Amino acid sequence: MAIVALSELLGATVRDATGAVRGKVREVAVVPQDHPTRVAFLVVKTPGGERMLPGDALTACGATIRSAGDASAWERFAPSDRVLLLKRDLLDQQIIDVHGRKVVRVNDVELDAVPADRQMIVNVVAVDVGARGAIRRLAHGAVPSFTMRALLERIPPRVIPWQYVDLLETDPARRVKLKIAYGGLATLHPADIADIVEDLPPAERESVFETLDEEVAAEALEEIDPEIQVSIVESLDSNRAADIVEEMDPDAAADLLGDLTEDHSGQILREMKPDERREVTQLLEFGENTAAGRMTTEFIAVPETAVVDDAIDALKGFEGSREALATIYLTGVNQKLVGSVPLVSIAVSSPAAQLSQLSEPYIACAPDTPQDEVAALFDKYNLITLAVVDEHGRLAGIITADDVITMLRHAN
Amino acid sequence: MGFFRKGWRARLMLVLAVVGPGFITASVDNDAGGIFTYSLAGAQFGYTLLWTMIPITVALVVVQEMAARMGAVTGKGLSDLIREEFGFRVTFFLMLALVVLNLTNVVAEFAGVASSLELFGVSKYIVVPAAAALVWVLVVRGTYESIEKIFLLASAFYVCYILAGVLAHPDWKAAAFATVTRPEAEGIRNYGYLYMVIGLVGTTIAPWMQFYLQASVVEKGVTARQYRALRWDVILGCVFTDVIAWFIIVACAATLYANGHHDIGSSGADAALALRPLAGEYAYLLFAAGLFNASLFAASILPISTAYAVCEGLGFESGLDKKFHEAPVFYWLYTLLIVIGGGVLLVPRLPLVYVSVLSQVANGVVLPFVLIFMLLLTNDPELMGDHTNSRGFNIIAWVTVTVTIVMTIAMVLTQR
Repeated sequence: MAIVALSELLGATVRDATGAVRGKVREVAVVPQDHPTRVAFLVVKTPGGERMLPGDALTACGATIRSAGDASAWERFAPSDRVLLLKRDLLDQQIIDVHGRKVVRVNDVELDAVPADRQMIVNVVAVDVGARGAIRRLAHGAVPSFTMRALLERIPPRVIPWQYVDLLETDPARRVKLKIAYGGLATLHPADIADIVEDLPPAERESVFETLDEEVAAEALEEIDPEIQVSIVESLDSNRAADIVEEMDPDAAADLLGDLTEDHSGQILREMKPDERREVTQLLEFGENTAAGRMTTEFIAVPETAVVDDAIDALKGFEGSREALATIYLTGVNQKLVGSVPLVSIAVSSPAAQLSQLSEPYIACAPDTPQDEVAALFDKYNLITLAVVDEHGRLAGIITADDVITMLRHAN
Repeated sequence: MGFFRKGWRARLMLVLAVVGPGFITASVDNDAGGIFTYSLAGAQFGYTLLWTMIPITVALVVVQEMAARMGAVTGKGLSDLIREEFGFRVTFFLMLALVVLNLTNVVAEFAGVASSLELFGVSKYIVVPAAAALVWVLVVRGTYESIEKIFLLASAFYVCYILAGVLAHPDWKAAAFATVTRPEAEGIRNYGYLYMVIGLVGTTIAPWMQFYLQASVVEKGVTARQYRALRWDVILGCVFTDVIAWFIIVACAATLYANGHHDIGSSGADAALALRPLAGEYAYLLFAAGLFNASLFAASILPISTAYAVCEGLGFESGLDKKFHEAPVFYWLYTLLIVIGGGVLLVPRLPLVYVSVLSQVANGVVLPFVLIFMLLLTNDPELMGDHTNSRGFNIIAWVTVTVTIVMTIAMVLTQR
């Protein structure tokens, strides 16, 4: 196998079967719908305009490029949405390095040319994001090629294998045709996705949120800086925005909607499912910097008469965030809060044990408690979750420790 | 009720978020290099060069508007766009030129700090290292928002130049007349005259400011839709900049030029000291305070903005939220700009004003090349959509490019 860099191919002389010079390489094209990595054709600048030299007619692919067939068979090149042009779409552009979890700029593209029964099969194998690609681009044409190869071999490569590259494309139609689905990005932790998205320009952020699965998008959105959250949601159509907001934690969703204009948040609320809408609307009523503004309404509460088995059933059916699972709350008559059971006690008790036997004294605060007092309660009682009760003693929601950490970091 | 309050707050935030980049850029426009150049222009040529203010303002509005519009529409910095559209090699050499050019500008900023405090008898061997350390820490340790608030507040100090101008008792009629008079054709054959005009262009429409303005528009997250408010921010900022510049030239023309002090080259303090007997105690103090503030202000922005532009264009990790080892090129470049920029000033008997003005002339010489890139980018419909340049803008910008290049060639030819 022979690795050849895109920058070496661009501008290279193309000869046909007779050895006559036919033109110079302008572009290298991949058609992802046909093959994800294989070079489908080269765009060659000939005296008769830009022509497509099919990849399967290549007999040499390096400093000189040779074609098996006759140049007259090359069709005229017409730009198409289905075609990924490596120079235009990849070189010097930003991509997501899935393995390194960051946004990087492409210095060069590495292709692998393998001889296979009288022709060359050329595949994209990696993108170069390091000094090697940079120096090659800088010195290309100015330094003799053997000197350059010797020089470049001394530089440690920084390449990203093609399977860890997520391309960025802002045009939705083209995204489908080029099969760009941010598949690698979606496998990352939501907090990492958030960091990457924050580093992207606005149009690219929007494209990520149009494409990602709603659940992943929602979790990532929660982790993003509030100002950027707003600009992302504003750029999405309200239907898509509602789908994502529905999947968010109600408290995060309420914070986000509270930052939007009334018109816009109203539109999104109307598109949401009634249950989620009700929860979020309730939270919206409270000031953002109070206990109620920070709480989530997705928690586990079971009657005080329940046993451990009932609690486990409740856990299985729970769809809220994992942070809220740390404590199971016990309610009495009229949904009044009467006790709390840590998840650990449930794990170590027999299925038939009465929850009221395991119950510990609970710590709770009123909905209008200021957030710094909330933080003080967490600190004093070493809490993982804190119950928020209304004036009748009913459990209105809970605050989780991760929310408090976020709150404290923002306060500073 | 919470809803209403948040809606109102969101609207206020929108206004505050948009008003800013243009005005801050305008404020750092009258940095040490600017103040020295305007002062020297007034001291050497009196009111003669005031005619440049109107064409320069028009060009400044057009150029800054282009940078701001590019930032709002594409959401990308100028060096990012140059890299994406013109490739690695072009970007590399442009960034190299930008680093060298901006380094000379950093020297000018520290020269401003040094000479303003010299007036109060503090040695530059103490002032410059202290100011360099202060700037480094302020930017690296402080959060962006709190720095920006200090900057915005500091903008108000610029009014002191208007006061200095008024206290200098200029001949208002002659100054106003000179502002709208056609320049004399003789100037094109005079090296000193051309040098000063290119310096005035270069200091007012500094290349680094275009990178900075576009980056701060992107940073603020201004989108194409909120662009209308931003446009006014930019235009008002430009006019504000040049009104201040006009008053500095007038102040120095009315005092230094009128009394034969044509040479203020060795130290910026000379300009202020010379003002003292001529314009009174307060004019001199205001001039010094203004110079100090402007220099420190710009010294805090210029090196970091350069580090961002270069790293983004060349694909190095950048950002103050990263640790030193995560973004080594970014931090080293930033640190070296400050250390070398400040270090140059420690050379004994360095003629501060001449060095600073030279950096502004260099700005003027490089400006057309940056402008050509900006023009190519803002006329690309694939990039700008419906927001490409209007014909009038293109004409003004190309005229600016041509005139600056012609003046540079003429300057080289007339040099003896």
